[in-house]
Amino acid sequence: MDRRKFIKNSALASSLFFVPNFVKAFESVATKQFGYKRLVIVQLAGGNDGLNTVIPHNNDLYYNARPRLAIKKDILKLNDDLGLHPGLSPLRSLFDNGELSIINNVGYPNPVRSHFRSMDIWQTASGADEYLQSGWLGRYLDQHGEKPYNAMEMDEQLSLAMKGEHFNGIATNDYKVLYNAAKDPYFQSVINHYNDAHLSEHNLGYLYQTMIEAKSSANYIFENTKVKPSQEAYPQNSFAKQLKNVAQFINSDLDTKVFYTSLGGFDTHANQENTQARLLSQYAESVSAFVKDLKRNDTFENTLILTFSEFGRRVKQNAANGTDHGAASNVFVIGKNLKKAGFYNDLASLSDLDANGDLRYSVDFRSIYATILSQWMGVSSKGIIPSQHKNLDFI
Amino acid sequence: MTQQELQHLYWRAGFGINPDRLKSMSKNKKQVVKDIFAASKYVSPLHIDLSYLDGITQIDLKNFPELAKEIRKKGNKKILELNYAWIKRLINPNELLRERMTLFWANHFVCRDRSPLYAEQYNNTLRDFALGNFRDFVKAISKEAAMLRYLNGNKNRKKRPNENFARELMELFTLGEGQYSEKDIKESARAFTGYTYNFEGEFLFTESKHDNGTKVFFNRIGKYDGDDIIDIILEDKKCARFISDKIYRYFVNPAPNRKHIEAMTEVFYKDYNIERLMRFVFLSDWFYDDANMGSKIKSPIEYMVGMANTVPVTFEKEKDLLKIQKVLGQILLDPPNVAGWKGNKAWIDANTIMVRLKLPSVLLNNAVIALDENDEFRKKFFKKNKGKLPFKTIPDWNAFLKNYELVETKNLQDYVIQGNLNKGTSGYLKTLSKSSKQEYCVQLMSLPEYQMC
Repeated sequence: MDRRKFIKNSALASSLFFVPNFVKAFESVATKQFGYKRLVIVQLAGGNDGLNTVIPHNNDLYYNARPRLAIKKDILKLNDDLGLHPGLSPLRSLFDNGELSIINNVGYPNPVRSHFRSMDIWQTASGADEYLQSGWLGRYLDQHGEKPYNAMEMDEQLSLAMKGEHFNGIATNDYKVLYNAAKDPYFQSVINHYNDAHLSEHNLGYLYQTMIEAKSSANYIFENTKVKPSQEAYPQNSFAKQLKNVAQFINSDLDTKVFYTSLGGFDTHANQENTQARLLSQYAESVSAFVKDLKRNDTFENTLILTFSEFGRRVKQNAANGTDHGAASNVFVIGKNLKKAGFYNDLASLSDLDANGDLRYSVDFRSIYATILSQWMGVSSKGIIPSQHKNLDFI
Repeated sequence: MTQQELQHLYWRAGFGINPDRLKSMSKNKKQVVKDIFAASKYVSPLHIDLSYLDGITQIDLKNFPELAKEIRKKGNKKILELNYAWIKRLINPNELLRERMTLFWANHFVCRDRSPLYAEQYNNTLRDFALGNFRDFVKAISKEAAMLRYLNGNKNRKKRPNENFARELMELFTLGEGQYSEKDIKESARAFTGYTYNFEGEFLFTESKHDNGTKVFFNRIGKYDGDDIIDIILEDKKCARFISDKIYRYFVNPAPNRKHIEAMTEVFYKDYNIERLMRFVFLSDWFYDDANMGSKIKSPIEYMVGMANTVPVTFEKEKDLLKIQKVLGQILLDPPNVAGWKGNKAWIDANTIMVRLKLPSVLLNNAVIALDENDEFRKKFFKKNKGKLPFKTIPDWNAFLKNYELVETKNLQDYVIQGNLNKGTSGYLKTLSKSSKQEYCVQLMSLPEYQMC
C-alpha cells in the first residue's frame, strides 16, 4: 500500500476524526459539491432590539411596556399587526418584491443572556448547555471546503463560526494587505525549499501546509478580484465597506461560498432610540446598496443574505430609556425566489412571556441553519448541526 | 543534561532560556529541576492600582447610576491594565514555574470577570495554588467571587438550584465528559447552594439559601455541602487521570502517551500534590524524548513572551500589546468560553500563520526579513514605510547580542528553534549569508519552525 492510500484509509478507519486538511487536498474531492450558491451572513452584534425592529404597531401591550421607547411615528406598516422601524425603509422594496422573509421569535431553549455566551451558541449551533469549540460554518468547511477562501470573513480575525474542527475559513478586511504580507520573497524561498517528503499529520507539517494555503489563498483572492470599482453608491461606514467588498468578490466570481460580515453596537441599555435608529439605517442602506449591486451584476439570484443577532431585548423598557438583554428575536432572510416571503410566522405573544419578561422562541435558530444547508447549499446538515431539526420552508 | 534538554525543560517550565544563562547552569538533571522548584517556592501576587474603588460601597453604586457607570468604564480600563501587568510578569517573572503553571491553570479553571477586583483576586488564587494541593485548589475555586459570577453559583439557591457550576466542575475541572449522570449534576448543584460573596470579593456562605437536605451523589447518601462533593469527586481515580492527561498534553506533548499518563496518575492520586506531579514529569526520562521536543505549537502568549525573552522589546503604545493578542487569537483574562482555548493546531489558521511569520520582522526589524538578493533596495523600501507599520516598538538588540555572545551565528538555529528543522528548510538556511546575527535571528523567527516549542 502506498503512503497516500494508507493515509486515506487510516483516516477513514478513524471515521472522519482529525483528517488534516492537507490529506483532504490530496483526495482532490471528487464530490464537487461546491456549486455557486452563496451565503452572506450579517451579524448584528450586541443584541438588536427585535421589537423595535419589527414593530407590533397594533398591540397595546407593546406600547404599555415601552411608554417612552415604543416607536409611534413613521412605522412602515407591512400588515395589520406588524411594521418595520422607519430606519429600515430602504428594505421596503425588498419586502414588496418578495425578496425578504422575516422569521419571528427565533431562539433556543433556556436562552442565555450573556452576549458572549449567546453569540457562541449562535456561532457554534450548540444548545444552551453545551460548549462546542467549532463553528457551524467551519464544520460545513470541514465537510465541503477545499481552500480557506471558500469562506471569507470581512474582518481581521476569524469568528468561531468560521472555524471547523480541522478546516478554517480566512479573514481579511483588506485583501491587498494580506497579499502584501504573504508575498514577502523570504516566505516564497522557504516554501520553495520546503521538503514535504516527510509530510505527516504532525504539527510542523500542518504549519507549513497552512502557510502554503494562506499564501495561495491570498494570491487567489488578489489575482481574481476584479479591481473595477463598483458602480453602486454605498453609504460611508465600515459595515457598508464590508458588504461592498463582498459584492466585489461575488461579482468577480470567486470560489467563495460563505461571507461573514458584522455590524456592532446594538447593546442599547440606555438612550436606545437614536443609537438603534442610526444602526438600523446603516444596516438597511448598506444592504439595499449591496442587493442593487448584485442585481446589476446578475449575482443576486445565487446569493442568500441571513441577518441575526445573538438575542433580542426585554419587552419592558428600563428606566434609562433602554432595554436589557432579552431572548428570542427576528431573523431576516433576503434572496430571490424565496418560498415564503414576507412574514414567515406571527410574532409570539406579548402576554405570555418567560420568567424574565422576554419573548418565547417558537423557531429554533438551528432549524434555520439546517434549512439553509439543505435547501440552499445543497448539503446534509448531518455533522454540521449537532442536533436534529426539521427543515422550514422559507427557501 | 544536554543544551537541547535544558532548553526543552525551560520551554515547558518557562518560556525558553538564553545561552548566556545556560552556560552558568548545572548540567545535573536533579539539581536543575530542584533549582526550578526552589525558585518558585514563594508567591508574588500580581497587583494593579485599584485605589479608584477605595471608599466605594455597593449601596453607592445602587444609588448613583452615574457613578456605577463611571466605575464600570474605569473597570474596563483596569482589566486591560491587569492584562498588560500579567504579560509583563510572564516576561519578567520572580517565580518562573509558578507563573507558567498559573497560565496553565487559567486555561483549566477558565473564568472571565469584568471586575478588575475579582479578576485580580482570581488570578492570584491561581498563583497561590499553582503548585499546591489540587483538592484545596478546587475548593478555593468553588468559592471565588469571579467563578461564582461566571458560572452562576451566586444564583444557585435552595429550591432554585442552578446547575451551571456543578456541571462544569465535573465536565471540565475534574473528571471529564461522561463520567457522571445528569442526576449527579442535579444533586451536587444542591450541595453548592448558598455560596455567595461580598462586595470586596470575599466568600460568604448563606445558611438560609443552602439546601441542607440529603443528597444522593455517586451512589452515596449524605447531607453534603460543596466541599464534601469535591472530596467525593477526588476519590475517583479518574480525576487524577483527567488532570494528568491535561498536564501531559500541555507540558509534554499534545499527543498523549497512555503509559506515561498512567504513571503520572499513580503519582498524583496519592495526595493530589501538584508540585510532586510536576517534579515527577520533569525528572522522567521520557520527558526528554526526542519526540517531545518542539512538539507543541506555541500559544500566542508563549510565542510573544518567548520572543521578548530572546529580543527584549518595548512597545511605545501599550494598547499594541492588546492588538497583538487579538490578531493572534488569545487575549489573557478574556477566554472564549468556559472550555478555554483549544490550543495547539487550533491556534493556527491562514490569518494567524501569516501574522506569526510576519510579526518578528515587524516588531524587531522594521518589517524586513533579510534576503541576500536586492537587499539594499528592499531595505530602502521598508525604511520608507516605517511610519506605516502597525506597531511602534523599540527592540533591544544589544541585550540579544550580549545574551547570544557565545553563540556563533551559524549555530543560532540550535538556540532559537526548538525541535527539528524541515530538511529542505535546513538546507535553505545553509545558503543564507548570515553576515548579521541579528538578521539571521529574524530570519529564523520568520519560519514555521519558530512556532513550535
